[in-house]
Amino acid sequence: MSDQGISIQHLAKSYGANQVLRDVSLEIPAGQTFALLGRNGAGKTTTIRILLGLIPADSGRVTLDGLDPAQDALAVRRRTGYLAEDQTMYPWMTASELCRFLAPFYPTWDMAWAHDYLARFEIPLHTRIGRLSKGQSVKLGVAVALAHRPPLVILDDPAMGLDPIARKEFNRDLVEHLQTSGSTVLYSSHLLDEVEAVADAVAILDQGTIVRHGATESLRDEVKQILLPVSGLTARTRPAQLLDVRRHGDRLAIIVDEAPTYLRRLLEEGIEHEVVDLRLDEIFEAYVIGRTDDWPDMPVTETVATVN
Amino acid sequence: MYVRVEKGVSAPISRQIAEQVKAQCLAGILKPGDCLPSVRQLAKELAVNVNTVVRVYERLTAEGFLEMRHGEGTFVAPPSVATQAAAELKEQREQFAREFEALVRRGLMLGLTPPELRKMLTTAAADAKTGISQRTTAKHHPVGESP
Repeated sequence: MSDQGISIQHLAKSYGANQVLRDVSLEIPAGQTFALLGRNGAGKTTTIRILLGLIPADSGRVTLDGLDPAQDALAVRRRTGYLAEDQTMYPWMTASELCRFLAPFYPTWDMAWAHDYLARFEIPLHTRIGRLSKGQSVKLGVAVALAHRPPLVILDDPAMGLDPIARKEFNRDLVEHLQTSGSTVLYSSHLLDEVEAVADAVAILDQGTIVRHGATESLRDEVKQILLPVSGLTARTRPAQLLDVRRHGDRLAIIVDEAPTYLRRLLEEGIEHEVVDLRLDEIFEAYVIGRTDDWPDMPVTETVATVN
Repeated sequence: MYVRVEKGVSAPISRQIAEQVKAQCLAGILKPGDCLPSVRQLAKELAVNVNTVVRVYERLTAEGFLEMRHGEGTFVAPPSVATQAAAELKEQREQFAREFEALVRRGLMLGLTPPELRKMLTTAAADAKTGISQRTTAKHHPVGESP
């Protein structure tokens, strides 16, 4: 484990009887752009809030560039650009006033850059924040989160309130300013197509656990859909990492992880098959809502595939 | 250089970019010595991860399509005979691999087992090898005539 970047180890958190996170571990190396994917309620925001030191974890440990937010929240906040999921800002201030208000909190605040952002996002400087549109206030939130040029950036679903053009603008900025300056970026998102183009690595969070994480490109090499004839399949043919099974007449469409290993096995056993490349959203779906009970004649001893 | 990345399709982004650049090199739209946009510039333009573009440039450099000159940028490589021959050979080998795979698949569908197929391959390879070496030693004698 390196001191730089973000490290999450065995994180657990409950709200009352409701366990929101169980044993979440992730290592995000410095300079990486990392996307946290999950449905609503999967635990993304809770993870992020613990990283910022806004709420305590029940157990486990997180560090950001070696700092523990539970002990040293201020130092963490100083070097982190953070945009909350539903960021509220003083509605009586104007964008320009907000920048002047925030600047003294951050020794590294770059006013010229903040204004450059506001101009590109076409945010009126002298309109009260309370009168900005939803999209405008998200853009303002992004701008002020990045204006102190933080080495760590944590954004909770920044794309949610942005229109397609602003999203593209935001992705460009992410690529141009954050990736090339070596910032470590963790952000959560629902927009898988866009994540794929931008993120170095992704993690899929489902019901409080990380069900899969990996480099964006290798994920697509490893998770494949395979079409198989139903006849000739045995319990032995069942893949170790089976994510989804759909029966189409006498053919099965299955989605497996560790596909290269499984394809080698199919070839050895002489089972005719076809391989289909999947999009990131299909991989996500297979992990989150995939079901495997359509596998033919499944012996009860076989375990249903889940990944730790 | 015109590159268009389609999001939400099953072809990975790096492959999409690589294939378009390669096609433009082969078609002569990008000419030897042409300067490509910097990694940073292309990444920004396409709104694509910087490392993805780096990987594409590196791969195409390794394949002989591009040339990375330190401190200057990335350029379209001159079409050396070697790289063109290598590209052609690679393409032909890929085509062969596809045909071979189809053949194997057909064999499996006809009920042959992998060990049987392996045996057939060994025999065929041995036969072909003697065939090729006979033909080369008998180069000056037309086939069918005894030396």
